[in-house]
Amino acid sequence: MSAATAALKRLKFSREAVLLGVLISLVVVMTLLDPLFLSPTTLLNTSRFFVEVGLMALGMTLIIITGGIDLSVGSNLGLVSVAVGFSYAAGLPLPLAILFGLVVGVAAGFFNSVFITFLDLHPLVVTLGTFALFQGLAYGLSNADAVSDFPPWFAYFGQAYLGPVPGQLIIFVVAVAVVWIILSRTSFGRYVYAIGNNEEAARFSGVPIRRVKIALYSGIGLLVAVAAVIYTSRVYTARGDTGLGLELDVISAVVLGGASIYGGSGTIGGTVLGVLIIATLRNGLILAGVPSTWQLFILGVLLLVAVFLNEFFRKGEE
Amino acid sequence: MSEAGADRRGAGGTVFLRFLARPEAPALIFLVVLVAAFTLANERFLQVGNLESILTSVAVLGVIALAVNQVILCGEIDISTGSMLGLCAVTSGAVATSAGGLFLPLLAGVAVGALAGAVNGLLVTLGRIPSIIVTLGMLYALRGVILLVTGGTWITGIPNDTRVLGTGRVLGLGYPVIVLLLLFVVMEIVSRHSTWGRNVFAVGGNRRAARFAGLPIDRVRFLAFVLVGVFVGIASVVYLGRAGSVQTNTGAGLELQVVAAVVIGGTSISGGRGSSLAALTGAVLIGVILNGLVLLGVPGIWQDAVLGGLILLAVTTDVVRRRLVGDRA
Repeated sequence: MSAATAALKRLKFSREAVLLGVLISLVVVMTLLDPLFLSPTTLLNTSRFFVEVGLMALGMTLIIITGGIDLSVGSNLGLVSVAVGFSYAAGLPLPLAILFGLVVGVAAGFFNSVFITFLDLHPLVVTLGTFALFQGLAYGLSNADAVSDFPPWFAYFGQAYLGPVPGQLIIFVVAVAVVWIILSRTSFGRYVYAIGNNEEAARFSGVPIRRVKIALYSGIGLLVAVAAVIYTSRVYTARGDTGLGLELDVISAVVLGGASIYGGSGTIGGTVLGVLIIATLRNGLILAGVPSTWQLFILGVLLLVAVFLNEFFRKGEE
Repeated sequence: MSEAGADRRGAGGTVFLRFLARPEAPALIFLVVLVAAFTLANERFLQVGNLESILTSVAVLGVIALAVNQVILCGEIDISTGSMLGLCAVTSGAVATSAGGLFLPLLAGVAVGALAGAVNGLLVTLGRIPSIIVTLGMLYALRGVILLVTGGTWITGIPNDTRVLGTGRVLGLGYPVIVLLLLFVVMEIVSRHSTWGRNVFAVGGNRRAARFAGLPIDRVRFLAFVLVGVFVGIASVVYLGRAGSVQTNTGAGLELQVVAAVVIGGTSISGGRGSSLAALTGAVLIGVILNGLVLLGVPGIWQDAVLGGLILLAVTTDVVRRRLVGDRA
């Protein structure tokens, strides 16, 4: 047993290569289950369903690299959805309502960051509190009701196609490029890794920790808000329980992509692969007729296995 | 820092000063003020019947909070209790409908709870995965197991001899209240006088120091997670008695109320400082607030927002208190 473990740990491998292998084998299995799966149309259509999780996962990657976490993203998505829908229903023109939604999303993220930086509270506790707070506000403000009488052009954000390509896929690709550049080509990105590796050392090296964290949590608020607009447009309904439980998908995708939950490591490439694997899995489970209840179970177990393997191999690499 | 430091600080002062240094003091004062305010608003609030009904309504929450309190004292967290309660209730409910009686359903509930708690504990201690991730994963995985086991149908027709923990009365008190108070006394004794109870404070207060002192850190934490499972199992039979049926979404969202009860009561979320009385106070406080919201006519959909706000208020108070006292633990 111990010899086998040692051999496994010595195994040099590229995490991205392994993830790519997993993704390809998943696609092969899905194609065997349903021959239509591999057609470009199906694949492009599938992309409509992972953009929301993907956008939030981009922000979550940076937060997890700093050793933090944000459990409130799903609730925040519901809150923004309600903010957009109900401010529109109250008479605000839709473009302003969408702008208002974006402001609410950023404000919610900023609210988190105030508690995390100025009170030095653990992000876990703060966002557990705001998870309930945002959810409750979304329910309370919407009176547990829904709005769906949007003008036709609102569908553009979540249902439009440019040729065969869904509109939100383009937004996602742009967001991936921007966040990738920020993380790997700017001093801000180096700060993010520095904080995650050793916050105390980063502080003494003059990294503006507070400002970086405020930017990160407000930034994920913006990504959540964009995701919320796309989601609301896609399902054409604004309601408080939108996004319920999405934090599980988001965090799973990030840790599956190889970010250490203890901070200090993680890549945008890994996260994108993680998002794609979870989307393929979810889509495949639906195609295979697996009830949604099983999906919860599988996602929960997948999260645990991914974190376990991450830490197992990381110890081996050290 | 734990009770020992608090006691030393208050040693020369009056009983009142010593009380103020205790972790649950702010919550207890808040509770008294709140009860006074609600009594002024509605004189029926202070009647024995209403007070007992509040205690009864928080019995399940309080029992679980007493155990999660120990996990948080260790410096860990458990947010899987909502789904765990559902799973235990489904199990004990199924046993109750086929076998009846109180003993077998209780045993089944406790066994399943302890098993789920052991999985949490093993993943945290041996798997070296942070407890928030472990219990987040388990929150979803266990909910999946419930739906798998029940196939989405409700369990109804719980026999009356099983429901005694929820409906029975003795000496003018309902069993849910008795179970809650009994377990509270047990936990106070365990916390003060058993080796494990003292180790929990040591592990949560300063894990490195505890390790260097030779304490079995992993075993202490593992047992805390198992304890949660056992208490959830007991709570599930109280739930069964009160509800008389089990739905597949039983316990959904309870994990938040449990964590809220513990931290509102005054147990520090960073571990090492707190008490069982804090968990009990927090649970009662939540019961009083929810009861008060109903009296004030606030719609139930605002519950989550109030809970979230209370968690943030509680942890903020904790930070401010620590800064005032100069205790950077």
